[in-house]
Amino acid sequence: MNSIKTAVSLYSFQDEYARGKMSLEDCIKELSQQGVEGVELISDQMLHNAPFVSDQDIESWKKLTQKYNVFPACNDIFINTKLYRNRILTQKENLQLLKDELILANKLGFKLVRLVSLTPTDIIENALPLAEELDVIMALEIHGGMGLDHPETKKFTDIMFKVNSPYLGLVVDTGIFCRKHPRVSTQFFLQQGLNKELADYIDNEFAMGRDVFHISHPGTAPAEVQTMIKNKIDQEYLIFAGGYENKPFSDLDKILPYIKHFHGKFWDMTEEGLEYSIPYDEFIDYLKENNYNGYIASEYEGGRFALPGSEIDAISQVRAHQAMLRKYIG
Amino acid sequence: MFDNYVLSDKGFKNVEVNGEVIGYEMRTRITYYRGIPLSMIQDIQLEIDGEEVPREKIKFSPDGENYFTLDEMWTVTTYKWEYGVEGIVFVEQPGGLAEGPHEITLTQGVRVSYIPVPFFGTNTKVLEI
Repeated sequence: MNSIKTAVSLYSFQDEYARGKMSLEDCIKELSQQGVEGVELISDQMLHNAPFVSDQDIESWKKLTQKYNVFPACNDIFINTKLYRNRILTQKENLQLLKDELILANKLGFKLVRLVSLTPTDIIENALPLAEELDVIMALEIHGGMGLDHPETKKFTDIMFKVNSPYLGLVVDTGIFCRKHPRVSTQFFLQQGLNKELADYIDNEFAMGRDVFHISHPGTAPAEVQTMIKNKIDQEYLIFAGGYENKPFSDLDKILPYIKHFHGKFWDMTEEGLEYSIPYDEFIDYLKENNYNGYIASEYEGGRFALPGSEIDAISQVRAHQAMLRKYIG
Repeated sequence: MFDNYVLSDKGFKNVEVNGEVIGYEMRTRITYYRGIPLSMIQDIQLEIDGEEVPREKIKFSPDGENYFTLDEMWTVTTYKWEYGVEGIVFVEQPGGLAEGPHEITLTQGVRVSYIPVPFFGTNTKVLEI
């Protein structure tokens, strides 16, 4: 029997939150009404003065998760390495910021923090004793465009394999398993003036089963792609295309024991109840075969491609994504 | 991509202190997806009715209580511009702006850790004083 659990990243509701349509409580209440088991937070998105959140706000977060019976599954954290405009922070300063985040995660009731891709790796081992003491796992995000073959990601996984601590792991974003370029992105960029020939070229690469990461930078794209780049929008579209990796699920074989959590990335739920780009049925079959028993957190990112004049409806999208996950989990 | 966050529809007005109009202000949301210390705001640029506002006339407030010039903001790590909270862009201009519609182009740039270059959001709107 599998015990895959579902969560929702509150990243999904960021537009509703920013516009004041949903409060933090509304977000959590929505999860509870959907029967979602876990909640993923970005503490410096929805809690003020993070990582130095007031005791009162910490109390009220804990009360909300208890009241609505959602488990604090993961807190997404960032190290502000560019805090000053004239220098990047030193290793010692970065380490202190990471420790502050671990302390906050612990106070909020999280057992897991997601370190954003490209988090400095030279502070990880020094933060480990505190992570152990607080019982908070540090897991690096494996994100499309910064996936397993990215040199900075490899630096982290090298440390992770070497240290082999239960407090070091990975949060894998399913954006590395795209079989199609998100159509909401294509529509968005076409409306801004994207060269249709370039969009078709990328769609075709995916259709041929290829990964477009290596051609996604305007400077290194093959000559035939270069000739299709007519303006800034084409360049921007192409760079974005590199964020949708087309990797086989078997890429996870080697790292399975280190995977603490999944970001169930999605952009566009179709009328048939499927994610347009990612074959979640195959993904969940793979996880079941490999006895994964952690969370998959819905992370809606289609809002950024909302066409001018159209409203973002993250709630319907998240509901549809959760329904799909539950169907496949069984 | 969230350029339409840059200029709020509300809060564009002249600012009066002790019966004297000292300038005008408008409201802006961060185009990033989390709150950042003010020192990570790379720049704020403003054009009113086609004319660029000198940067030394601009002050920013994350909360309506504390105001900083753009140069001062480089060192301000004690206050954050919170996600979903409208910051205030204040422009010092005795007498303020004439009543009626004005075309505003506001640009904000933020510097965040894992994106190689600062990124900018721009929004143009006609708002009424």
